[in-house]
Amino acid sequence: MVQLETRQLCKTYPSGVQALEDVGFTLERGTFLSVIGPSGAGKTTLFRILNGMERADSGQVLHAGQRFEQARGRKRRAIQKTIGTIYQDFCLVEQLDCLQNVLNAALPDMNLLTGSLGLFPKDRREEAEALLEQVGLGDKRFASVQELSGGQKQRVAIARALMRRPALLLADEPVASLDPVTGRQIVELLRNIQQRQGVTVLMNSHNLELARTYSDRLLGLREGRVVFDGPPDALDADALFRVYGGRSA
Amino acid sequence: MRRRRQHFFGWELVLVLFLLSCRLTGVSLPLLARRGGHFGDIALRLFPPDWGYAPRVLPLLWATVQMSVTGTFLGSLLALLAAPFCAGTLPGPRLDKRLCRGIIQVLRAFPALILALLATFLFGLTSFSGAAAITVYTFSIMTRLTYEDLENAPAAPFQALRAMGVSSAKAYFRALVPAVAPSYLTNVLYLLETNVRHSAILGYVGAGGVGLVLNEKVSWREYEKVGAILFLLFLTVCAIEGLSARLTSAILSERKLSRRGRRLLAAAAAILGVLCTVSLQPPDFSHASSALLRNMLAGFAHPAPSLLLSTSSEGVAALLLETACIALAGTGLGTLAAIPLVFLSSARIVPAPLAAAVRTVILAIRSVPFLIHGLIFIRVTGPGSFAGVLTLAVCSLGLLCKRFHQAIDSADFRPVRALEAMGIPPLPRLLRGLIPQLRPAFASAVLYRFDVNLREAAVLGLVGAGGIGAPLIFAMNQYAWSQASALALGLIVLTWAVDTASARLRRRLAQSRSA
Repeated sequence: MVQLETRQLCKTYPSGVQALEDVGFTLERGTFLSVIGPSGAGKTTLFRILNGMERADSGQVLHAGQRFEQARGRKRRAIQKTIGTIYQDFCLVEQLDCLQNVLNAALPDMNLLTGSLGLFPKDRREEAEALLEQVGLGDKRFASVQELSGGQKQRVAIARALMRRPALLLADEPVASLDPVTGRQIVELLRNIQQRQGVTVLMNSHNLELARTYSDRLLGLREGRVVFDGPPDALDADALFRVYGGRSA
Repeated sequence: MRRRRQHFFGWELVLVLFLLSCRLTGVSLPLLARRGGHFGDIALRLFPPDWGYAPRVLPLLWATVQMSVTGTFLGSLLALLAAPFCAGTLPGPRLDKRLCRGIIQVLRAFPALILALLATFLFGLTSFSGAAAITVYTFSIMTRLTYEDLENAPAAPFQALRAMGVSSAKAYFRALVPAVAPSYLTNVLYLLETNVRHSAILGYVGAGGVGLVLNEKVSWREYEKVGAILFLLFLTVCAIEGLSARLTSAILSERKLSRRGRRLLAAAAAILGVLCTVSLQPPDFSHASSALLRNMLAGFAHPAPSLLLSTSSEGVAALLLETACIALAGTGLGTLAAIPLVFLSSARIVPAPLAAAVRTVILAIRSVPFLIHGLIFIRVTGPGSFAGVLTLAVCSLGLLCKRFHQAIDSADFRPVRALEAMGIPPLPRLLRGLIPQLRPAFASAVLYRFDVNLREAAVLGLVGAGGIGAPLIFAMNQYAWSQASALALGLIVLTWAVDTASARLRRRLAQSRSA
């Protein structure tokens, strides 16, 4: 079954930079896909269009068969609720503790008053605690995010994304702010989640070595176009040249 | 080269404007030298305070505190709801945001006392009116401060929640409010402090609290009773400042509080706020009628053109100029007086007991509401704008000394010690080693105080100390709404112009600091 599909996505910024040009691919449920490419290739733009933070100029985005780019308001939010997102800079509320940050993912299911005041039901709290346990931060529940290391923050962010019980996890450079060892642990955790829970993962990565090791499939972008689409083994010197140009990885 | 010239030009311009303002407001040092002693005479007559009078003051003092707590509580709560509609970085139509910001700017032009007078027309001579005025006053300031904080807060967590399908409102409360909370709460506490001082004078227009008797006793020259009132007010201000300092350090996590402690504290604050609100004297609508309201609105919609365009000394232009000059001259004189005082009050420069004594005097000056200073200065120099200038100069001392003090405490003293080791005498040592470090912080403090002084200058007219306040309040008391509207319009334009200018200056200061 197809989890995610894009057709002929194009995006040009007001500055005149063409970020995406005719990007199309399909992603089967349960796959780990890494989007690779040099800086400025359009990876982050693609990610932001997929999670709805930006809109494409033309083309289609289908989340589980539903047209995302046409959806507005409630319908759009309903699709967004099924996507878990992880960012390079974590995007956590630094002033709150870990548990509260994970619980924030339960907000779409709550009404304005209880949601704004943070009065979460008991079962959601227990769920959040279990998720923190799962990412290895069971003892940090009440620690303020400010006090955590980068790797720990990313774990909280992953727990938050999982709290949505997502069918699709989108990760934008999840390890770019982390040291190599911690970065590997985070990608391993994502891989683990994908294999055990059957979650589809789409990860943007600068780190070719990690992407190759842990992905089922690679998507190479260069100057907004798809220049490679295949399993890691198929990424030979020739394909690498197409993706990264003169620079070797 | 270019930067240096600009800098020089800025200072020169300020100096020229200051001297011009002094001239226009009739600042006269000989007069001050001749009559200045009277201030001391009056101050001495406050002692010994008439303790027998104290029990009669306490209920009024409680009403004053109640008004400020209620106003601060409701005003800040409303500001938290209004701020996201003003913050340019949050989603929403651009035009609406401009409109919201415009409304806040207009509200901010009105001093609490003018708002209180307006409120007495609607809610009668009750402390409800005072609380309503303080609410609006707090609301306008807190909204401004909060939306600026929101614009500077990291937007990424908010957007991340939005991308999860969380509605803007929920994402605002859960991602942005926690981010701005420390600064928001610090501002609330600061406003609570200043609101107590503001509430203490609202009685002047009949809006409840201790102000009415304070005014009465000064007019009747019962200085011992004034002394008793001021002393109790001083204690109240000290208590609230002490409380707010402790709470601020807790908010900024300098002191550890358990989760339970935090919750208890928040609950206590909420209960106090609600309690003060519901126990407030109920409004008295007996004097408000729909005809009055209609006249008021019609008058405000049609500002009197004769007053707006007049170039005589009663015209809006002349009054605004006088108000601005009083504020400028007052800030300037205050700064000149504060600089030596702050060095005398710093334990890093003079012996500790002397520093402590000077600090106590500054705190005492600060706890007296500015209108009372005004009433006293009228007795010193006679009515007129010079009294206003002196009032603002004295009232500026407190804040300027406090901010200067913080700057000195955070200054780096190693260059001074290096100069000392070279055998350079104390004065040039400080001038060359310390002053250059302090200049940006001093300048921003002076700028801020000028902003405050401008608003206070607009009320000083009430006690006969010049400026636009007196005609505005007279017009309102005579139900001459179109005149009042013209004067209010002038006030709005003036505060807007000064806001814009000082924002530009502040940006420049920030640049020169980072350069």
